[in-house]
Amino acid sequence: MKKVYDMLVIGGGPGGYTAALYAARAGLSAMVLEKLSAGGQMALTHQIDNYPGFEAGVDGFELGEKMQAQAQRFGAVTEYAEVYEADLNANPKVVKTSEGDFYGRTVVIATGAGPRELGLSEEQSLIGRGVAYCAACDGMFYKGKTVVVVGDGNSAAADALLLSRVAEKVIIVHRRDSLRATKIYHQPLMNAENVEFAWNSTVKEILSDGKVSGVVVRDVNSGEERQIACDGVFVSIGRKPATELVKDQIKLDGSGYIVADESTKTNIDGVFAVGDVRTKQLRQVVTAVADGAVAAHMAEEYLA
Amino acid sequence: MAALNIDRKQFEQLLNGDKPVLVDYWAPWCGYCRRISPAYDKIAQQYADEIEVVKINIDDEEALSDEQGIDIIPCLILYKNGKAAASVVNPPSKAAIDSFIADNL
Repeated sequence: MKKVYDMLVIGGGPGGYTAALYAARAGLSAMVLEKLSAGGQMALTHQIDNYPGFEAGVDGFELGEKMQAQAQRFGAVTEYAEVYEADLNANPKVVKTSEGDFYGRTVVIATGAGPRELGLSEEQSLIGRGVAYCAACDGMFYKGKTVVVVGDGNSAAADALLLSRVAEKVIIVHRRDSLRATKIYHQPLMNAENVEFAWNSTVKEILSDGKVSGVVVRDVNSGEERQIACDGVFVSIGRKPATELVKDQIKLDGSGYIVADESTKTNIDGVFAVGDVRTKQLRQVVTAVADGAVAAHMAEEYLA
Repeated sequence: MAALNIDRKQFEQLLNGDKPVLVDYWAPWCGYCRRISPAYDKIAQQYADEIEVVKINIDDEEALSDEQGIDIIPCLILYKNGKAAASVVNPPSKAAIDSFIADNL
């Protein structure tokens, strides 16, 4: 006979494990489906300084493992599974994964968000071979090398500054003719001797010989193209929610986030969305864990 | 059972053994390496009968890592009959490691 969990949680970040913790403590059976390791996006952040209770900061990976252990202490279980498909309208709800099918009376979607990609054909195959999305994670590999940063927002500016301290040269490929980032970044970037700008430009192609060797940039006004030799390309053009899995069943907003208010309820009964994947004003660890607690409460109410 | 971290001597012994060897080249400062470690430990458990699943810290075994052509980590290399048969850089999920093994074993 198939086991039906009270709650299936898709995604083992802070929102997901908090939902599992609250569910388990309320006496519900809960399983977290995580494709790699606990923590989600914060697992790549070495120091989190805005999560209350850790006056000296806390390592994101460790915080993730602690949240996992805490939920498991009360009986929640983890399956390292990649979710391929979900039928959220079925009764019970079905989630199909690399480790088999799982059944839940409720489902919490905690799939988070990931970096937005340029969408170039070679991009995927060059991840880890010169294409990177996180300067704080991968910057160390480019010590003394030349890197291109693509993007014109605050995160691109912050990445470029960080990389300028490690890399020999940083070239920012910027769509416009002036910085769009907040003023605090302007002066340091202009003052950095090893930072250059390719204004009014977009990346058209990534060049490689097994790993990244350069980019082709296109001038948005003249259409003129030129090559820039580099060892790494840091893509910093924002984030996108991981909603591919549920986009045909659940109501999303224009940017792809799951439409759910503070109650975390989605348009499907018994399906809740928590953390970065949900429409909200502020995407932080602390708001994700808050969502997790609310979702468990709502699930309890739904099951009663 | 967690995947064992080994040195050059142990690595050479394993290569001369009967089983294929899967090595995760990693370093303590590498965020992506830490992130795959729980899934990799699970892999070690799951394939214990068929494959020697181990790890090598590239900072401790710099010369060996250079010889094996490691310049990006985490990098998983599957050795068969003492030779590198296939490699994958930064697998995004446990399922990706499973299919890497299935494709190359």
